[in-house]
Amino acid sequence: MSNRQGAYGGTNGGDTSFRKTWDREEYAARAAEHERKQKEEGKARYEAAASGKKYRRRASTPPDARETEARSHRLDVASMVGKTMLVPQGAGVGKRGKGAGFYCEACDLTFKDNLQYVEHLNNRQHLVATGQTGEVTRATAEEVHQRLLWLKRKKDEESKGEVLDLDSRLKLNKEREDQEREEKRRKRNEKRRKTKDGLGHQEIKLENDGIIDSSTHWVS
Amino acid sequence: MAHHKADASKLLDDRGYGGRLIRGQNPALLFETGVRNRITQSYYWKEQCFGLNEATLCDRAAQIKFIGGTTGVNGKPTPFLCLAFKLIQLVPDKSVIFEYLNFEDDGEESDNEGDKAERNGEGEGDEDGDNGIMNGGRVQDPEAAGKRGAFKYLRALAAFYIRLAWEPVEIYNTLEPLLSDYRKLKRKTKEGYAMTYMDQFVDDLLTKERVCATSLWRMPPRSQLEDLDLLDVRESPLQGEVDAMDEDNGEEVEVVESESD
Repeated sequence: MSNRQGAYGGTNGGDTSFRKTWDREEYAARAAEHERKQKEEGKARYEAAASGKKYRRRASTPPDARETEARSHRLDVASMVGKTMLVPQGAGVGKRGKGAGFYCEACDLTFKDNLQYVEHLNNRQHLVATGQTGEVTRATAEEVHQRLLWLKRKKDEESKGEVLDLDSRLKLNKEREDQEREEKRRKRNEKRRKTKDGLGHQEIKLENDGIIDSSTHWVS
Repeated sequence: MAHHKADASKLLDDRGYGGRLIRGQNPALLFETGVRNRITQSYYWKEQCFGLNEATLCDRAAQIKFIGGTTGVNGKPTPFLCLAFKLIQLVPDKSVIFEYLNFEDDGEESDNEGDKAERNGEGEGDEDGDNGIMNGGRVQDPEAAGKRGAFKYLRALAAFYIRLAWEPVEIYNTLEPLLSDYRKLKRKTKEGYAMTYMDQFVDDLLTKERVCATSLWRMPPRSQLEDLDLLDVRESPLQGEVDAMDEDNGEEVEVVESESD
């Protein structure tokens, strides 16, 4: 067979290694799995029908899904107030894409106000996009106790710095003010040293200091 | 590992709710519809109450600064009310609620006992320490020291939840010891703030019909439960003083009588 002549005098049909080779075992396993799933579903369907319910197939949970957690800090909604940013042309249409407003990286959506934004962060679409299950584990009494202990420690540490004595508070305030004044003086001196001859910046006096007063007559 | 939903969608689903029940009912119905809607639409609810469980709820409760129902012309719900609604959603185990109510720092236990011993030594103070144990199992908590329930607003929250969710006998037994907690509480009213005390708040819970924008379910009065032998007669911590005053009055009356004679 191997020495059969081809039509153009070649030995055989040429190189056939590009053809897909089938892993028979793997596909047999896949088929078995598929069959098992079908059987399972059929059983569930039958049982649901027997108990007078409608069967609904559930989408499987992705294996790397993690549980939803409570926000660890407040949503930062004021960080961009008063700032200017460049927005691509045509970004103002709908919510799709990055535009002016609160932008959700995972879902590529922009929201115009924080209420819409936080609603989006809570909804199913966002949770799925970020791989969360939307479920939270119940905590036991022991976990609650540990949490409260931690909170108590934190509270105690924070209140340690607080001084309730009026005299010491006044003293602390005075020290802080002195420090600030010293800092200001240092900066002023530095500035003066940088200018020529150490004269400092010459103040240029404008007439009337730019204030329009009654003595100014307008020529119309 | 039991789970619950991060948001209240399951709770507010009035046909398909399959979670824990309170007195055979969907717990959401303990709040009025209007208040419920305002809570679930509020920013605090959406931002801070999302994905809380029993442990993380403590973080929020430790931060709240006042109790109250709804405020302002729009009836904006206070964080206190939002967290109460979250508790209604979670329906935590009794042990968890007791932890909220009577949280005690283990590390300071020895300190606490030292205080007690001191007070016992003073003579009059032993009413606080000994009476609690003698009072038929119902332990009077050492409120004067302020060791129990270090987070007072969490404690108020737990008390509010207990009044809403538990059975009458349990309510009386668990809330009455709180009547000797005299710490101040800040209460937000419709406009502005008012001051109240923990014992006053608990008394309101036990006797009033409407507290914190919520109509409390009608609970049988204490006297009725006493008649059914479900509860022992409550002995007020002030009973000793009242008796002493009675005696004094009696003497005075006698004196007056003798004078008139």
